[in-house]
Amino acid sequence: MSADSTRWFLGVDVGGTFTDVVLADTRGGVDVIKVRTTPEDQREGVAEGIAALLAAHRVDPGSVVRLVHGTTLATNVILEQRGTDIAFVTSRGFGDMLRLGREFRQEDERFDLFFRTPAPPVPQSRTFEVNERIDAAGRVLVPLDSAQVEAVAAEVAGSGAAAVAICLLHAYAHPAHEEVVAEACRAAMPETAYVVTSSEVWPEMREYERAMTTVMCAYVGPVMSGYLAGLGTRLETLGIRCPIEVMESSGGVMSAALAARRPIATVESGGAAGVIAAGFVGRLIDVDEVISFDMGGTTAKTGVVRGGRPDITHDFHVGGIGSAGGARPGSGYPVKIPVVDLAEVGAGGGSIAWVDPGGALRVGPRSSGSVPGPAGYGLGGTEATVTDANLVLGYLRPGNLSGGVSLDPELSEKAIQQAVAGPLGLDVTGAARAIHDVANASMAAAIRVVTVQRGIDPRSFTLVGFGGAGPMHAAELAETFGITSVVIPRAAGVASAVGLVTADLAADRILTRLMPADTADPAEVAAIFARLEDQAVAELPGGDGGLVVSRAVDVRFRGQAHQLTVPAPTEPVTRQTLETVTATFIRQYHETYGIEMEGPQELVSFRARVLRTVEKFAPVPHPVEGPVAPPEPTAHRTVAFAGSVMDSCPVYLWSDLGPGTRLAGPAIIEGVDTTVVAPPSHHAAIDPWGNVVLTRVPPGTST
Amino acid sequence: MHEDREGGEAASASAASLAITAEIVRNALAVAVEEASIVVVRSSHSSNIQEGADAAGALLDAGGRLVAQSAATSVMHSASLRSGLRSILQEIALDELRPGDVLACNDPYRGGIHANDIMVLRPVFAEDRVRWFGGTLIHVADMGGSAVGGLGSLAGDTYAEGVLLPPVWLYREGKPNRDVLGIIERNSRAPGKVVGDVQALVAGVNVIARRMDELTQRYGIDELERQVDHFIDYAARRIRDEIRRIPAGSYRGSFTIDTDGVSDRTFDIVTTVNVGDADITVDFGGTADQSPGAINSSVSQTLSGVLYAIRCFVDPSIPMNEGCFDAIHTVLPPGSMVNPNPPAACGGRVVTVTAAVEAILQALSQAVPDRAVAASALIHVYTLTGLHPDGERWLSLGYEFGGIGARHGADGPDATGAYFLGGRSVIPQIEPLEAQLPLVIERCALVADSGGPGQWRGGLGVEMRIRLESSAQLTVRGDRMGMPPPGAHGGWPGGAGHFAIERAGGATEWLNPKQQHVPLEAGDVFVMRTSGGGGMGPPADRLPEALAEDLAEGRVSDPAPYAATGRAAS
Repeated sequence: MSADSTRWFLGVDVGGTFTDVVLADTRGGVDVIKVRTTPEDQREGVAEGIAALLAAHRVDPGSVVRLVHGTTLATNVILEQRGTDIAFVTSRGFGDMLRLGREFRQEDERFDLFFRTPAPPVPQSRTFEVNERIDAAGRVLVPLDSAQVEAVAAEVAGSGAAAVAICLLHAYAHPAHEEVVAEACRAAMPETAYVVTSSEVWPEMREYERAMTTVMCAYVGPVMSGYLAGLGTRLETLGIRCPIEVMESSGGVMSAALAARRPIATVESGGAAGVIAAGFVGRLIDVDEVISFDMGGTTAKTGVVRGGRPDITHDFHVGGIGSAGGARPGSGYPVKIPVVDLAEVGAGGGSIAWVDPGGALRVGPRSSGSVPGPAGYGLGGTEATVTDANLVLGYLRPGNLSGGVSLDPELSEKAIQQAVAGPLGLDVTGAARAIHDVANASMAAAIRVVTVQRGIDPRSFTLVGFGGAGPMHAAELAETFGITSVVIPRAAGVASAVGLVTADLAADRILTRLMPADTADPAEVAAIFARLEDQAVAELPGGDGGLVVSRAVDVRFRGQAHQLTVPAPTEPVTRQTLETVTATFIRQYHETYGIEMEGPQELVSFRARVLRTVEKFAPVPHPVEGPVAPPEPTAHRTVAFAGSVMDSCPVYLWSDLGPGTRLAGPAIIEGVDTTVVAPPSHHAAIDPWGNVVLTRVPPGTST
Repeated sequence: MHEDREGGEAASASAASLAITAEIVRNALAVAVEEASIVVVRSSHSSNIQEGADAAGALLDAGGRLVAQSAATSVMHSASLRSGLRSILQEIALDELRPGDVLACNDPYRGGIHANDIMVLRPVFAEDRVRWFGGTLIHVADMGGSAVGGLGSLAGDTYAEGVLLPPVWLYREGKPNRDVLGIIERNSRAPGKVVGDVQALVAGVNVIARRMDELTQRYGIDELERQVDHFIDYAARRIRDEIRRIPAGSYRGSFTIDTDGVSDRTFDIVTTVNVGDADITVDFGGTADQSPGAINSSVSQTLSGVLYAIRCFVDPSIPMNEGCFDAIHTVLPPGSMVNPNPPAACGGRVVTVTAAVEAILQALSQAVPDRAVAASALIHVYTLTGLHPDGERWLSLGYEFGGIGARHGADGPDATGAYFLGGRSVIPQIEPLEAQLPLVIERCALVADSGGPGQWRGGLGVEMRIRLESSAQLTVRGDRMGMPPPGAHGGWPGGAGHFAIERAGGATEWLNPKQQHVPLEAGDVFVMRTSGGGGMGPPADRLPEALAEDLAEGRVSDPAPYAATGRAAS
């Protein structure tokens, strides 16, 4: 895949164990490489992967026009508490805001007499109050005292902080005070100091969460900025001259400069890439409603794409326990930026199966990790994992895997016998089946969170299953929801990295401005949107692509504390526009809560998202003429499906199956880095893009 | 070669498949009740529950057994819906119920807590019989009574606490019972909010009904009921196993309540906790007679406290279902603080049930000394109400927490107490409050030196200053203020909280811990300071580095209590 006019795209997805690099081009070519992640400095693995891939395809680094990075750096810095020493400045009377916190105790923790509250990210010695106060309408109640501001700035500078986060009460309604304080801090601190205000980061009402979002930017910003600058230098030595872009948490791509300025926006970068990948597959096959199901080594993540856009949450906690099972986000630091609505459960290939003291079988959340890994790897692991179960069931092929790992079913059987089959009085196959089923149940709960609990009926959706382990579980999981169509993307093991090179540039802005819905002034609303859209465009890297604007309004019934985010038309704002918004709100309210409510409504916050479409990877379909019969299977082996065991199940190599191939389940299709399981209830077909499409055969139909 | 099994993934009845389906069904039940509580909380209209504080969602069976409870359920309501359904079933026979019926009850003498906590229960049918009940509960905005927001801190009987609903039909066969809704609406100071809250409750039980229908379709009613039995047995077995690990014996604990706001005396809550081989009996013999004030704890509420305290000594991951009640027995003397006779008022029961919790924790820590804790401060509640310029009434129920008591080996967390209550996540943030109400919050800060000094220090209380922008009426209910939370094993008590009004003219008025309808004018500042938690161990034994950190972080400004000679200082 090389031609002079061809332009190249690189996608880099850094995970805990592997760094996946994707090289794609304008003619639809794509190749991937997996290298080990280098935890001391992730940039080494990144550069190594890129260099190897470019060399393998003899690509001139200068013809790479785009490099999109998916990174867990922000999350890691926060969880490992290795951010910058920062100072926090707030309004007089509220210096304890961060340490008072919100402190929600999860169910188990509420019975813990010895519970501990998480340490605030800023010590009291670097927390400062300025004399000022603004009210909810943006009026100044207590003006700033410039002498006191100077004094505080001097104290901040003298505190040893290298970065400062400023969050004053109601700054979303009147940012001027924050700007004055920021200016004073910049003047007092060294030029390299990182100064950030809440009204710049995310001007939304609710001071604790806005402050925490701002604090997290200051905490991570200098690290992110250094990382990206260093990466740029390293890539330049490879001859790559294009700017670096970073996947942000809501599925758009931002410039490296903005990622350094607002690093908290990258906090779910990797998860977003997966959902974007699923949405991309949906676009290829012309499907509007997609469930993204990404099952890796330690967790499974699931999200929803509707109308080509991932569903978004505005209620995210960094390092929180997550929303799986429906529990509210609790631990961790709340941040208010838009994040793809993911439910994550501790069920991956490496998740450990165990029988609890009451005799119930559990899977996860503990994982064997990559070392020692599942028992079947023979690297010293003795605990039974989901991968061991899948090996015993016959889904995985015994013997060598890619990456120098080898699978030994005897070791897996031994582990399952000891941990599960013995205690439950099952045979080993039955126990393996049970582990597989319980993992599926836990992943089904995650899918339920992002669909049914949000008022979405999943039955009409297509499930896109990927990640190393996803394609083994996808068909059965879909069936529990009555989903009849499942797609396993080509290169399913690195689908998230492919997702990176399919994303457009995007920027989100918000402003809280409370107003009654019925008397809101359309001109004022129009002015707010115009301002937000100007800000967003200014944040986007340049380019020729067209701009796509979308708007939304947070609406609630007067007296409520929670609001729903409702899409708003992008037409010039009139009274009619606002009525459309409130009508949508009423409908969405009913969908979400099942309640027919009436009553006065309130507009709370206004949101704009601007997308710049760019040239990107677009695979070329292979023409398909009529169904193609499958080749001879490469092997047969005994495979245990739900409810039936097949002694001689056909096994195919994915690379042997050309577009148009159709085959009846049961069958196993082995790819380079993943294995697809087509249960007896499903047909499999290869589509024009090389994806495996699994279709549920209606019960009663003869196969 | 296919060996097809009937009915898909989970229909076999073998012991093995039971164990497997168990986890799957357990998950589905948990999700059903969780969904219900999310719907209730997110769609409710009262600001105090919108943050998830005072709410519950549960699934029960037709025999009144608790099957599953939402994780979001306040621990304060661990036993509430179960008690409520059991009372209802004494008055309403199952064959009086039809599909689409929805019942409500809020009577503290029929399994309820107080007038403002409305319980809604919906029967779920399968094969023409009631099999389950979906239940939801929230603290609604206002049910009438002598004080706004159900905060009749000086109420002398239930009649002063608001309209009581014996079990009534809110819906009959899917149709709203307008009579009952009309009565609720007519008797509330916030009719719109209350109706919104009741709708939210109904939406919640409807979710549970829908999910149970789906599960019945998938597994069949017989299999589902068998799974539920299994799930309850599992919890019962596990809690008995855990109780076996606590040394058997008879342990006593007591806690003294400083005031009920109306009588000139204190009230002792006394427990004898008898740990047997695999069960526990909590005997409240010796507890004070019921109070003429509002601090009595109904049976339902007392049970929640008992269950909570004991769960602190067993593995908390044991599912909260009927199995947990199986091994726990109570002796509740009739006419006492923990089992009052009608019409004693119950709205202020938090102080009593938390006293019961402290007494049980104290008793059990004699069996398990390394789990000893000093007493915590409580939630301090207030309501403010006034008129908007357009004449519409505004009302706000708010609270703040006190410090948690020191633990054996650890300081108490700040401003999150008591254990039995929520964390601060239930406290609205400043900005949204100010956006809705005519007030400005001038300060919200930890109170230095309020944590009870000790080898392990109590958690700090918090001070909040609220300046009114227009006239209003204030009602307060504070506990453990006159006698702040005592220390344990040589630790000092926490700093006492208070309520005060700083008048615009400059005068300061001190309020009683319980006071109703205090008039405020524009410019007046309401000051609420919560108590700190008790300390544990002699202050002189505090490690110097711990004291140094307290001084650096501003938790201690005056090190005098720690200055006496002690191990660490020598």
